[in-house]
Amino acid sequence: MLKIIIAFLSLLIALPVYAIDGTALLKQVDRNLSPESYESYRKLINIEPNGRKKEYTLFTVKKGVDKVASLFLAPASEKGRSTLRLGDNMWLYIPNVGKPIRITSIQSVVGGVFNNADILQLDYAAEYNVEKVEEKGGEYLLYLKAKTKTVAYDRLKIWADKGKKLPTKIECLTEANMLIKTLYFKDVKDFGGGLVRPSVIETDSPLYKGYKSVMIFAKVKARDFKDEVFTLTFMPNLESLR
Amino acid sequence: MKQLHGSLTLAFLFFAFGIASSSFAEEHTFDISEIEKKPYHIGGNLELKPVLFGLDKNASLYKLKFYNRDEGNTLEEYDAKLQLEGSLEKGIAKLSVKTNTDYKKSYLGEDQQTAVYEGFLSIKPSSSLSIDIGKKALKWGKGYAWNPAAFIDRPKDPDDPELSLEGFLVASADYIKSFQGPLKTVSFTPVLIPVYNHVNNTFGDIDKLNFAGKLYFLFYDTDIDLIVLTGGSKTTRYGVDFSRNITTNLEIHGEFAFINDYKKKFIDSNGTNFEKEYDAKSYLIGMRYLTEKDTTYIIEYYRDGSGFTSGEMKDYFSFINKGYDSYISTGSSTLLKNASNVTEGNYGKINPMRDYIYLRVSQKEPFDILYFTPSVTLITNINDKSFSFSPELLYTGITNLELRLKTAFVSGERLSEYGEKQNDYRAELRVKYYF
Repeated sequence: MLKIIIAFLSLLIALPVYAIDGTALLKQVDRNLSPESYESYRKLINIEPNGRKKEYTLFTVKKGVDKVASLFLAPASEKGRSTLRLGDNMWLYIPNVGKPIRITSIQSVVGGVFNNADILQLDYAAEYNVEKVEEKGGEYLLYLKAKTKTVAYDRLKIWADKGKKLPTKIECLTEANMLIKTLYFKDVKDFGGGLVRPSVIETDSPLYKGYKSVMIFAKVKARDFKDEVFTLTFMPNLESLR
Repeated sequence: MKQLHGSLTLAFLFFAFGIASSSFAEEHTFDISEIEKKPYHIGGNLELKPVLFGLDKNASLYKLKFYNRDEGNTLEEYDAKLQLEGSLEKGIAKLSVKTNTDYKKSYLGEDQQTAVYEGFLSIKPSSSLSIDIGKKALKWGKGYAWNPAAFIDRPKDPDDPELSLEGFLVASADYIKSFQGPLKTVSFTPVLIPVYNHVNNTFGDIDKLNFAGKLYFLFYDTDIDLIVLTGGSKTTRYGVDFSRNITTNLEIHGEFAFINDYKKKFIDSNGTNFEKEYDAKSYLIGMRYLTEKDTTYIIEYYRDGSGFTSGEMKDYFSFINKGYDSYISTGSSTLLKNASNVTEGNYGKINPMRDYIYLRVSQKEPFDILYFTPSVTLITNINDKSFSFSPELLYTGITNLELRLKTAFVSGERLSEYGEKQNDYRAELRVKYYF
C-alpha cells in the first residue's frame, strides 16, 4: 500500500515537470519575437534561382493580437502602398487606385515565397492552438493547428530553442500535412528594450523550387498606437507615424 | 604564364570573395540610412507607349471622326506620360502635389497637356482626425471596373481601372472612431465641392456649393459605405456599397446608387433632341476569387440606370450614318457636327449603355516565372451582345520598371456599342519607369 502511495505521490510530483503547457510556451515565443504592440522596419528580398534579387522596404506597426499595418517605403514603384490586417480582414491601398481593396491571406503583394499572411503576421497564439509539444534535444517542437479555416496555413510545426524560447525553424503545412514552405530564423540580435530575437527570417518552398525570400528586421521597438491607426480611412496616412 | 595564372587565381579569389561577401552583405544587412524619414519627397513615373490601331472603316464612330480624311487601315500613335509627385511635411501639416503631363504624337500631329491632378494641404491634429483642402481625387466605391456610387470622382476606364485620375478642388475631413465588438470602425468623411466659373466647372451646374458625405462602417467584418451628394451642381444622389471576404480566397462587393431626377438627353435617328427625367438606379455586384494555382478571377455585373437603351444607341448610330451619307452626297457636314455635339459627355461615355459584365482572369507567375502576370479581360455589353477582349502580359521583374504588352479586340454587330467603335483592334506596349 505504501509503495502505491509513494508511486502515486511521485507521479504527482513528476507530472508538472514533464507536462509542458504548450499554449503558455507559444505565447512566450510570441512575446519573445516582438512586444504585443510595436513598430519595426523590414527589408524583404526575393532571390531567384539565377541569383537575381528584388528588394522591398516596409515600415510596420502592430497593436494587440489582431491589428497590423505595413507601409512600403521602397522601391519607388511600390512606395506609398500600404497593407492593413484586422483579424481575418486584409486590405491593400495603392495610391493610384485610391481606395483600399480587400486582399486575401494567401496572395502575395510582393511576389516570391512570402505571402500576405507572412508579411502581416499576427501572434501565432492568436491564430493557432497547440496540439502537442515534443522535446528534441535542445529544442521544443510545437505542433500547431489553425483555430479557423480562414488562417493561411492549416498546420505549423515550430522548432523553438529551449533556453531562449525563440523559433529556429517553422514548417507551414496543409491540412494533409503537405509542406508549403519552411521559415528559418537566424542571426539573433539585441534590438534594445530587452528584445533579443532573430533579425533574419529566410524561407523556401517546394512550390517555388530554387527561389528564396529573406526578411531582415531593424529598429523593432515597443510602441503603443490608437486603434484608429488600424482602419481603412487611415491607410493613406501611415507615413505620418514614422 | 605563372604570373598570368597567379593573377587569374587572385582575380578569381577576389571575384568569388566579392560575390560571397556582397551576397552576404546584401542578404543580411539593413542600412538604416535607407529608412530615415525626410521631411520632403520627390518621385514619380515616366511612361512610354507606342500604340497601333486597326481601323474599322464601316463603323459609325470611324465615320464621325474620319469622314473628311483617309488615314489608311491602321494608325500609329506614340504616347508619353510624366507624372511627378512631391510632398513636404512639417509637424501635423503635409502638402502633397501630383502633376500629369501627357504627350501624344498621332495622325493629328503633336499634342502636349499638363494638369495638376492633385495638390492639397493635409492637417492631422490626431490619428482620429484629418482635414484636407485642395485638389484631390477621392475615389469612392468598391467596384473594380465601375463605381456607380463614386459621385465626386471622374469616371474611370474599365479597360485600365488603375490609372490615376484628376481630382476636384474640395475641402474634406476624415473622422475615425474604433470600437470593440462586431462594429469595429466608424468613419465620417464630409466634403465640400465648390463649383464656379473657374473652379470645378466640369463637375456640373456652376455657382453652387455642393456637399457630399461618406459614412463608413466595418461591421461584422464587412466594409459598408453610405454616400450622399447634394447641392445643385448635380441632382441629389444617394449611394451604398459593401465589400467582404467570404473565405481566404473569395471576396464579394457591391454598389448601389440612386440618382434623383436624372435628366437623360438623347436623339432619334433624325437627330431630333429629346430629354427625359426620371429617378435612375444603378448598381454593381462583383467578386474576386483566387484559386490554389494563383489564378485570380474578377467578375462584375454593372447596371447603369442612366445609360442608353439598345434602341437609343441604334438611333444615335443611325443618325451618324445619315450624316455621313449626307456628307458624301452633298458635302455638308452639318449633321455630323450635330452628332459630334451629342457625343461629348453623353453617348461618348466610356460605357454609355445599361448592362455590362466584366471578367478579368490573371495568372500570377506561371511556369515559375517570377513577377510575370498574363491576363485576359472581357467586357461584354449584355444589351447588344457586343464585347471587347483584351489579352495582356505584365512583367515587373526589374526594379522600378513595369513592362506591359496589351492588345484589345472589339466585336459586335452593326449598330451595337463595340461593333461601332472606330477601331477593330489595338496593340500597345507600355514601358513605365518609377523614380
